[in-house]
Amino acid sequence: MPRPPRHGLHRFRRWFQVVFLILFIGLLAFTVWPLGSVYLGAFLIGDPLVALNSAVNGVIKPAMWLALVMMAAPLVLGRAFCGYVCPMGAVVEWTSPARRKHGLTDAGRERWRRVPVFVLLLSAGMLLFASGAYLVFDPLATLTRSATVLLFPFVDRMTRLIGDVLYLVPALRGAVDAVTTALAGRIIYAAPRVYGLAVAVLGMLLAILGLNLVERRFWCRYLCPLGALLGAVGRFGFRNRTVDVDACISCGACDRVCPMDAVRDGFHATDTSRCQLCLECADVCPTDAIAIGMRPAKSAYRPSRRAFVGVAGLGLLAGFFTFTGLSRRTPDRFLVRPPGARVEGELLALCTRCGQCMKVCPTNVLQPSFSKAGMEGFFTPEMDYRVGNCDWACAECGKVCPTGAIQRLELEEKRKTAIGRAYIDTTRCIPWADLGQCLVCQELCPVVDKAIVFTEDDVVTPAGEAIVVKRPHVVPDRCIGCGVCEFHCPVPRESAIRVRGRTS
Amino acid sequence: MERREFCRLVLGCAVVGCAGGLAGCARLLEWSAQDTGTGRTVTMGGSQDVTVTAEASEAPTPFDASKPPDLAVFRGEDPAQNTRAAVLALGGMERFVKPGARVVIKPNIITGREPELATTTNPQAVAAVVSMAYEAGASEVIVFDRPTGDPYTAYTVSGIQDAVEKAGGAMKVLTDRNFERIEIPDARSLPSWPMVTDVFEADTFVDMPIAKNHGMAILTMAMKNLMGILGGERGKMHQEFYHKIVDVATVVKPHLVILDAYRIMVRNGPTGGSLKDVETPKTVVAGTNMASVDAYGTTLFGMQPTDLDYLRNAAERGVGVIDLTALNIHEGSA
Repeated sequence: MPRPPRHGLHRFRRWFQVVFLILFIGLLAFTVWPLGSVYLGAFLIGDPLVALNSAVNGVIKPAMWLALVMMAAPLVLGRAFCGYVCPMGAVVEWTSPARRKHGLTDAGRERWRRVPVFVLLLSAGMLLFASGAYLVFDPLATLTRSATVLLFPFVDRMTRLIGDVLYLVPALRGAVDAVTTALAGRIIYAAPRVYGLAVAVLGMLLAILGLNLVERRFWCRYLCPLGALLGAVGRFGFRNRTVDVDACISCGACDRVCPMDAVRDGFHATDTSRCQLCLECADVCPTDAIAIGMRPAKSAYRPSRRAFVGVAGLGLLAGFFTFTGLSRRTPDRFLVRPPGARVEGELLALCTRCGQCMKVCPTNVLQPSFSKAGMEGFFTPEMDYRVGNCDWACAECGKVCPTGAIQRLELEEKRKTAIGRAYIDTTRCIPWADLGQCLVCQELCPVVDKAIVFTEDDVVTPAGEAIVVKRPHVVPDRCIGCGVCEFHCPVPRESAIRVRGRTS
Repeated sequence: MERREFCRLVLGCAVVGCAGGLAGCARLLEWSAQDTGTGRTVTMGGSQDVTVTAEASEAPTPFDASKPPDLAVFRGEDPAQNTRAAVLALGGMERFVKPGARVVIKPNIITGREPELATTTNPQAVAAVVSMAYEAGASEVIVFDRPTGDPYTAYTVSGIQDAVEKAGGAMKVLTDRNFERIEIPDARSLPSWPMVTDVFEADTFVDMPIAKNHGMAILTMAMKNLMGILGGERGKMHQEFYHKIVDVATVVKPHLVILDAYRIMVRNGPTGGSLKDVETPKTVVAGTNMASVDAYGTTLFGMQPTDLDYLRNAAERGVGVIDLTALNIHEGSA
């Protein structure tokens, strides 16, 4: 019997994924200074996991209605988000081998099916203890971070390199310069973009994709915390995959093709905590027994009371672990957060570790933190003044932050916000230590009336010569900690003027 | 299936080949790595031939092309008109720009500040020079600086990008490939340094600073503006600056120097940031020698040319005449 033609919206699922991935990367590509009025962080602000975390920590943004819709959608759409919208899901799916067989044994699958509940419980434990560290696993944050740290710097380098090669042809130089200038500040920067922790980000991405080798969409099925959250709602769904029990011949074709391992109980029931309504099962069903309908037969893993209490306890323990100061230690003295950042504790609770602030930063000064904020602060934004400095004309990081971990500041306000204070190391500063001429820090200090002033000191050189040296001094009340001085200090390796974080 | 596999193989090889080729090119090119080793020797004509000495100083006959003044100083309400008048007094743009010429203009765009704050060269004045260059038959007018921060924000906020593009010129953001190490044969302190190659390849190089206060150098004008064509870690320039900037001036000789003093920054320079640091002499000083233009520029701040150690050095080393009584100065109002 020939297969009837496929019908329904699910035929275009691949196109949904392509469009949303392009939209996602496109919005991120436009996340550059100066930002227009379009809200570029739409994906992250519509992320229910991020929004839930923000709401629990007391940050509600009007745009979070989108997250509310996303959160309720599994009641009628299952985890369609994972199959149609999520760009990370698309990447994971496309890198899955086309194998139509389960890599895990049946017993293994049974065990792994329990994992999402526990992922959620662990996340909840961290959430209760005001630690956003678990958001490092949010899929949208992960993809944003990966694109920021890996993709865009790569495009920058490649564009630059292609330009360098074409520049060998004198006739093309004008064109290369024109294109370079047109892309400057958007794709190419004065100095190539670099981010710390690129290896860690790449490692995490490769691990997520590599798990595909064990089982198709392993990450989406078992580990993704956003998927687990949507799945928790999906358990109560009243519209999902239905099977016409009379027509079903129990051939098992649906179970074999299901990318999310959602077919249960002799193929008649559906795990509504994972079905993404892709209807690949319906497309292979030889008897057309599968459709979408109301009141589906549901079957989802229910943790035993013992397992539930155990893992909930573990989650609380993990939260407590971050809370007791075992990892939330006193921040490093050189830890400087971007202007508008909330106090350290709130920042750690709210930050999604997505890196959008680092993407928009025109000077590349915003870098992922490795250990200055403790392991809990891994990949939260910090200022690295050896890479750049906070630009006087920019206040965009607060605008792109999806959670308000960095609060929006108007430019005038930002210019008066002290995030740190510079200190001169007089044992290394050229005019202080070597009696030489310099004052680069004083020259470039962008603060009105200058936060670095100089005195003309009469000194006697070791050779006995009486000379006048202009020596810089920091005016504490004026210094905002933008780091222009530290970035431009000509003393090699470690600057002779360094910004330390303000304690607030 | 066979054909598909073949296609895949070919595609794979092509990707690997391209990547390998690019990587190899990257190794070979390494534009920025030319910071070491010996650099290129350049000669730059400039318009030094008209630098006149005391005996040549007579009553100015500004529009006599055979005897243009050393300096043209014009005051007036419109920065563009002042600039036009000053260049005209020097003999008109045709003296500096031949038909088909490539013109490079180097304003001061140290960082992104609004024009009113006198941190960057007046955008209208820059646009006027762009227009004049095209009127004189230039084939291409390129404007750039190497700002201390992000160039895109600096070009945009300073208003120069907008003004230049409206006048038909092209802004250029500099990257490593635009720099080459240049030898300075007569150096006292700076034997060589990476500089923007366009400056030497241009038919006409216009140095177009704004007059500002400066902590270390006291004043920054035409000579100090050359810092913006330097690559590498420019912070090192500040050590023995009074030698180093004159060293640079021995190889970089602009054909035309236009000092924008419509607004000047009288304190907290060179970045300022407050209107109370700004005064408005509404003046343009044009000439063909940086030291001479700077010498006149000091008077706008109530100073003498000899108050600046780098100008004294420049005069001693024959880079330019800074004795204002020895210069033929044409003053007027536009």
